[in-house]
Amino acid sequence: MSALGQVGDLLQLVPVQRAGAGLLLSALGLPIVGVVIVGLDIMPVRFAMMHVALLGIAAGQLLGLDPVLCAMVACALAGAGVAPLARDADGLSGAMGLLMSLAIAAALLLLALSGVNANGAFALLWGSILAVRPADLAVLGALAVALPALFVWRRRDLALLLHDRELALCSGVAVQRLTVLLLVLVAVAVAGAIRLTGALLVDALTLLPALAARRLGRSLVSITLWAVGIGLVVNVAGFLVSLAWDLPPGPVLVLAAGAVALAAHLVPERRTPSWRVPASSSVPSSH
Amino acid sequence: MDLDIAAGERVALTGTNGSGKTTLLRAVLGLHRQAGGEILVGGRGHRTAAERSWRRRACAWIPQRPAAGRFPLLAEELLASSGAPAQAALAAERLGVGALAGRPLSSLSGGQLQRMHLARAVGCVAAGAGVLLADEPTAALDFAGQEEAAEVLTTLPVTLVVVTHDRAMAARCDRTLEMAAGALREIR
Repeated sequence: MSALGQVGDLLQLVPVQRAGAGLLLSALGLPIVGVVIVGLDIMPVRFAMMHVALLGIAAGQLLGLDPVLCAMVACALAGAGVAPLARDADGLSGAMGLLMSLAIAAALLLLALSGVNANGAFALLWGSILAVRPADLAVLGALAVALPALFVWRRRDLALLLHDRELALCSGVAVQRLTVLLLVLVAVAVAGAIRLTGALLVDALTLLPALAARRLGRSLVSITLWAVGIGLVVNVAGFLVSLAWDLPPGPVLVLAAGAVALAAHLVPERRTPSWRVPASSSVPSSH
Repeated sequence: MDLDIAAGERVALTGTNGSGKTTLLRAVLGLHRQAGGEILVGGRGHRTAAERSWRRRACAWIPQRPAAGRFPLLAEELLASSGAPAQAALAAERLGVGALAGRPLSSLSGGQLQRMHLARAVGCVAAGAGVLLADEPTAALDFAGQEEAAEVLTTLPVTLVVVTHDRAMAARCDRTLEMAAGALREIR
């Protein structure tokens, strides 16, 4: 059977259709999360949220509730909880490290005390695109609407906040509220993305498109558009390649996104007129 | 320290490096947590959210070293953050950096960036700020630029507090204060 025919046949299967829909929805929201992660300089957030998600899963198993839902709630609460530590540039990175340690310790303690099988809890962190449920699609769909809407609605405030927190404060931006909102969205999105590719490969959907876009764009708007565009191309291409040649989708997506990020970093710096021209000679002064 | 500045007054703040000039300006803006004492602007404190919001609208700021920024910001976005984009853009034209509005701040030279922040401050004043806190606003400018910036700053209809080591700038102000080890004395 040709690769094209195999893709056509596989796309008739409901789990494959759900996986495709999940990747399309995630391409609209998750690269924007990556832009926020790069902008707030909180690269360790995914590790922190992976540990917090494990704590949520442990709590869910102990209480007999949906572990994935509990993981998302735990991540959302953790995101809101670390926001007050964002007063300076280093505050959040340090907070993520602290959160990571505390969450894994609490999760292990909870698993030990409850007698829940730890392997079962850890297994939920190794998500799979083909195991996506309608509830996961609903979360990804909500993020695909909420994140672009926030970026359109609060474009000016976000540009200032991601550039310089103090300048944003002095420009009347509600920095604290916006930071809490961003961190909650980042936390929920990372928890949602873990279901798609697994915790270790979540970068493919969030960070790698944003890192490539950071290199190609010159403003928040252009960087966001580049990130979403790259996310769409990488997700669709990676998914089709994995179907055509029967490869595991997660690693193919990471390699595709990584190749794009690498290629973006090989693009020569954009040439701009030299700033060494005196300011007053760039445009005639009015006096 | 005790310091009273009348509305509309222009005050130059000088002193050795590390004497606390920038900290004083940042404290007025509310960028440092208040540990003790009281800072009033227009008779209002800085304790409630409403007071903090009012303070940020009332005080325009030209930072000493404009942040390079973790993320690119276009110069036109900086000008728009003043609250009066059109007036800020006009000021940028007047200061010779109007054509650079579409460029990211990271691609501007130190002097161009300082002019851009000066234009933003003009926009803030047009949007209703009554106080301008300028932290070494001419430090990165050439001689002609220093003259031009001093002219713009001292002719704005605001209460001006300017940290400066530029004698010409200080001479244009009504009062000159010297700061040493966190204490103030009036030298002119």
